[in-house]
Amino acid sequence: MDLTDTLELPTNPGPSDTVPVGAGLSIFDPVFLGIDEFGQPVYLPMIYRNILIGGEPGSGKSSLLNTIVGHAALCADVRLCLLDGKQVELGLWEDACDVFVGPDIHHAIRTLYRVQTVMDNRYTFLKARRRRKIGPDDLFGQILVACDEIAYFSATAGDEKTQKLFAALLRDIVARGRAVGIIVAAATQRPSSDIIPTSLRDLFAWRFAGRCTTDVSSDIVLGHGWAARGFSSNTVDPNNHGAGYLIAEGGIPALVKAAYLTDTDIIRVADYATWTRRHTGTLTTDNASPARAAA
Amino acid sequence: MRKSSSRSPFGWSNHNGTVTVIEAPIARSYRRRAVIAFWVTSAVVGLLAATVASHYLHPILGALAGVAFGVVLGAVVFALIVAWPVLRVFWHWLPEILLGLAVVYGWVALMQSTPLWLSLLIVALVVGVPAAIGPVRRRVMSWAWCLIVRHRLRLCFAAFIATNRHGSLPLILLARPTPAGERVWVWLRPGLSLRDLEADGQVQKLAVACWANEVRVMRASRKYAALVRVDITRREPLAHTIVSPLPDYVPADIPSNAPTSPGMPPVGLDLPEVPDQPVTVPADAPRPRKPRNPTTDTASPSGFDPSDYA
Repeated sequence: MDLTDTLELPTNPGPSDTVPVGAGLSIFDPVFLGIDEFGQPVYLPMIYRNILIGGEPGSGKSSLLNTIVGHAALCADVRLCLLDGKQVELGLWEDACDVFVGPDIHHAIRTLYRVQTVMDNRYTFLKARRRRKIGPDDLFGQILVACDEIAYFSATAGDEKTQKLFAALLRDIVARGRAVGIIVAAATQRPSSDIIPTSLRDLFAWRFAGRCTTDVSSDIVLGHGWAARGFSSNTVDPNNHGAGYLIAEGGIPALVKAAYLTDTDIIRVADYATWTRRHTGTLTTDNASPARAAA
Repeated sequence: MRKSSSRSPFGWSNHNGTVTVIEAPIARSYRRRAVIAFWVTSAVVGLLAATVASHYLHPILGALAGVAFGVVLGAVVFALIVAWPVLRVFWHWLPEILLGLAVVYGWVALMQSTPLWLSLLIVALVVGVPAAIGPVRRRVMSWAWCLIVRHRLRLCFAAFIATNRHGSLPLILLARPTPAGERVWVWLRPGLSLRDLEADGQVQKLAVACWANEVRVMRASRKYAALVRVDITRREPLAHTIVSPLPDYVPADIPSNAPTSPGMPPVGLDLPEVPDQPVTVPADAPRPRKPRNPTTDTASPSGFDPSDYA
């Protein structure tokens, strides 16, 4: 008997020997966000919705964004499209996502053009099938466009023309994307009119305001008049990262504490998502079949 | 508030119109209301009673009996309305009065039935055991806060929340402890609206008066605009870190994912390694536009910028 055969067997079982099993999550399931002030879990339905996350640096914006991206990464039918001018906030998901845009506004605009084309094609497809929106078991999956520090693309990088183009493209995706399963989650520190156009800001249905430095900043995220009614994220303790006001179902801000993923947790979840996506051919980087191969 | 030497039991004097417990306009309004109620009750009850009594008695006797009954009932209603400002105070403090009576009578009964050492022991146990057990103590304290908050809110409504012309205050309904503080339901009387409570700085004043961190008011019912919920926050229930359940979906035995991106050499990570280069400014820099509305140009002291809401 050859000695090499016996030596090779236990050393490298490898990913090819094991069959990856997906997490079984779906973007049609509500995302676990955290707990409210009564200790009850808060679930946020993200399908057909968009969320705007605001708050001062260190208020837990990126943590909340990572929770949403993490949920989407474990959904076999969701493609991830991550834009992060800071690179490290969403960078841990780079292997699991389809497009990762760093501090490159031209790449960001190209990516948004791609998403817009997909959106148009999907609407044409739906119209041909005499339907108005997609469902859970559709031919194609959903796309999560997560943008951390939206101000970098819309107010800092490039010149005024590219910034306006970026804002216009994003506004179009937010405005028209919901019925074809294109979800936008955007985070920025203070979404005032000089950072993102108010026409874009007011399209976001769900709002999360982490701690803000003033009542006005809180009102800019949540909507005018909430601070006067006592809902000001200025009152949140600055050391209480992840606590803030969430406007979701019900329309009244609720004080919630967002769940926290440590970097180790993110890497584990991202590695698992990458592994399952590679095997099911979800990732476009492997030139495999479309998203529904997982189902 | 001037003290009068000749006090009536219900708080006002008949001679000078001076007021001791209740303010003069409110007292006059109550007396006017009481007189009206007396006549209306007397007439309606008297007529009804006379009609009924006429079936059993001679009609004249029945009419007289009806009038007498009506006057008596009218007098009772008159007395109730005139005494209402004082009765209301008793009603507001009813839990405390009942509690005080229970403590006094309980103590007396205990002292009479048991020797002193045993009474003291029982009192020590009844007070000490709940005070020593954390959850019980916190529960008792939260209910005590509910009582306190109702009084504080009543004070606020009387002091600085606008009331209607009759001086009737919002009805304070149920108060319930929450993990963050208390939640009180309030029924607004005609002449008030949620907007009055939300007016500039009112909720902050409420928070100060309730010895709380913050106070929020919102509608409590989609059906009735008068039903309002007041949330009083005095604790931070969200101080602990919430761990995301997402890693629980990941099985224990997954292969580690080698990084696909090539390792980046540590170059340009410090200031001396980045050369000082001239900045190229684009030639067609936009001209600074003249603001269309010069009034918005001046920064308001509160940091409010109307263009944020444009």
